Amino acid sequence: MKKRKGLSTVFIVIVLIWLLVPLLVSLIYSLFENWAGIVPKGFTLQAYASVLTDPQFGKALLDTVLICIVPILLTNVIVLLALFVVTAYFPRLEKYVQIICMVPYTVQGVILSVSILSLYVGGKGFFASRVVMLTGAYCIIILPYVYQGIRNSMRSVNMPMLLDAAQMLGCSRIEAFFKVVVPNIMSGIIVSSLLAVGIIFGDYVLIRNLAGSTVTNLQMYLYQVMKADSRKSSATFILIMLVMFLITTVVLVLKAKNDKGKKER
Amino acid sequence: MKKKRSIYLLALLPFLVLTVMYEIIPLIGVVISSFISDENGAVTAANYGTVFSKLLYQKAMQNSLKISTLSSLAGILIAFLGARSYYEKRGKLGQIFMTILNMVSNFAGIPLAFAYMILLGNAGVMVQLGRKMGIDALANFNLYSSNGMTFMYIYFQIPLATLLLIPAFDGIRKEWQEAALLLGAGKGTFWLKVGIPVLMPSILSTFSVLFANALAAYATAYALMMNMLPLLPIQIAGCFVGDVKMQRGLGGALSVVMMLMMVVMIFITNTISRRFQKGEAVK
Repeated sequence: MKKRKGLSTVFIVIVLIWLLVPLLVSLIYSLFENWAGIVPKGFTLQAYASVLTDPQFGKALLDTVLICIVPILLTNVIVLLALFVVTAYFPRLEKYVQIICMVPYTVQGVILSVSILSLYVGGKGFFASRVVMLTGAYCIIILPYVYQGIRNSMRSVNMPMLLDAAQMLGCSRIEAFFKVVVPNIMSGIIVSSLLAVGIIFGDYVLIRNLAGSTVTNLQMYLYQVMKADSRKSSATFILIMLVMFLITTVVLVLKAKNDKGKKER
Repeated sequence: MKKKRSIYLLALLPFLVLTVMYEIIPLIGVVISSFISDENGAVTAANYGTVFSKLLYQKAMQNSLKISTLSSLAGILIAFLGARSYYEKRGKLGQIFMTILNMVSNFAGIPLAFAYMILLGNAGVMVQLGRKMGIDALANFNLYSSNGMTFMYIYFQIPLATLLLIPAFDGIRKEWQEAALLLGAGKGTFWLKVGIPVLMPSILSTFSVLFANALAAYATAYALMMNMLPLLPIQIAGCFVGDVKMQRGLGGALSVVMMLMMVVMIFITNTISRRFQKGEAVK
């Protein structure tokens, strides 16, 4: 019995090493001038300075943040409305909404991006705009996550019961939804929105195929510097990973808080 | 009442507009365009003929299938052992394990390709280390091959697969193990005869997620290989984006083939999974 536990520990440690080595090596690589031998030489923060002072990096960071906002807000509102109406008035439609929401999960980025591109690229005006195409694509790619997040939270607060209770107290259903249900599931909405931020931050295929060069995110920036300067790109890499880890940490903390709150109730 | 209810359908309208415009019509469009000739706009099945007869696309399908299958198999094996270790161990190390898995679950695409280039590329740190220490396996490691790609894909499969499998282990009750132990089964026998068959539906559905994930992975492969190693997602994007005229028909046919691969894999895993749920596969 004791030996089995030891084996489990060894296995977990091996997987952890496997997962962490690429990160650690890139971190060391970004901090030293020269790593030709076994021991790296010449500690310097030069690479970070050159990334952080690069106006291209600033633009990419700003673009990455800006391009997140509209799709996430839009998708949350749209899915909230749809799920409210479907659960409160048309339970029979729920199945179809679910199917539509889960399709992007199997189709994924490449096919989605080329299909949107091929449909809208020839036209003129609003819908042929690269930014609009990209926004639409991001809405669809985060749809499964937003849908699952909102649906699970609605279930956990028992939305139909809340609506009935509010109605008995003389409140209309739609009013009850926005005044009672939405505030109660806000933390669930925030968690799934942050997951969506992570997905959009990590996207390369949609932005490359749809936006061309009109919008550049951090991933595209990394790809560009990768071809020119490996030390600068390793610093960029570390900065990107830091942002990602920050998002994940917030998600984990919020999730743990939610679960704890549920248990106490 | 009836009339009042239908007013609420208006709230569904934004959802329908978004999904019809950016999901349903584009996808149907791709399927339709796969049957239209790129040269003269006639209805034809020639695009599929090209896909299955041209060496480049045959290679792309073979490579994609091979890399996706191998990396998913390796991913599911490591994830199974990892999730089982977590199930038996838990505690502080288990918590660290979960946190790291969550942290690296977004680590894919361009950053992953970059980290592996630093690590195992032609002048990579590990490769140089291998040369100095005389470890041939490291010194001669070729990241820019389908085996190298598979190895890199395994990296992003591990956190995804483990995080999907860990909840499934909650279904294995400690009492079953005790009961099996009392009946004289060793731990190995328990997992072989009870644990794995009970987990099989979860293992299979995770496998199909991994397969789809690897098959559609674009950025990792693109950053590393450009067009040196033909892969389906890269060929598809190449038909629509780039210097040449957009080849909607050919790209559509390639997309449909890729979607079919995913659907077939889901169908296969579902079929096997159903047999396990009925208990037919366990003798």
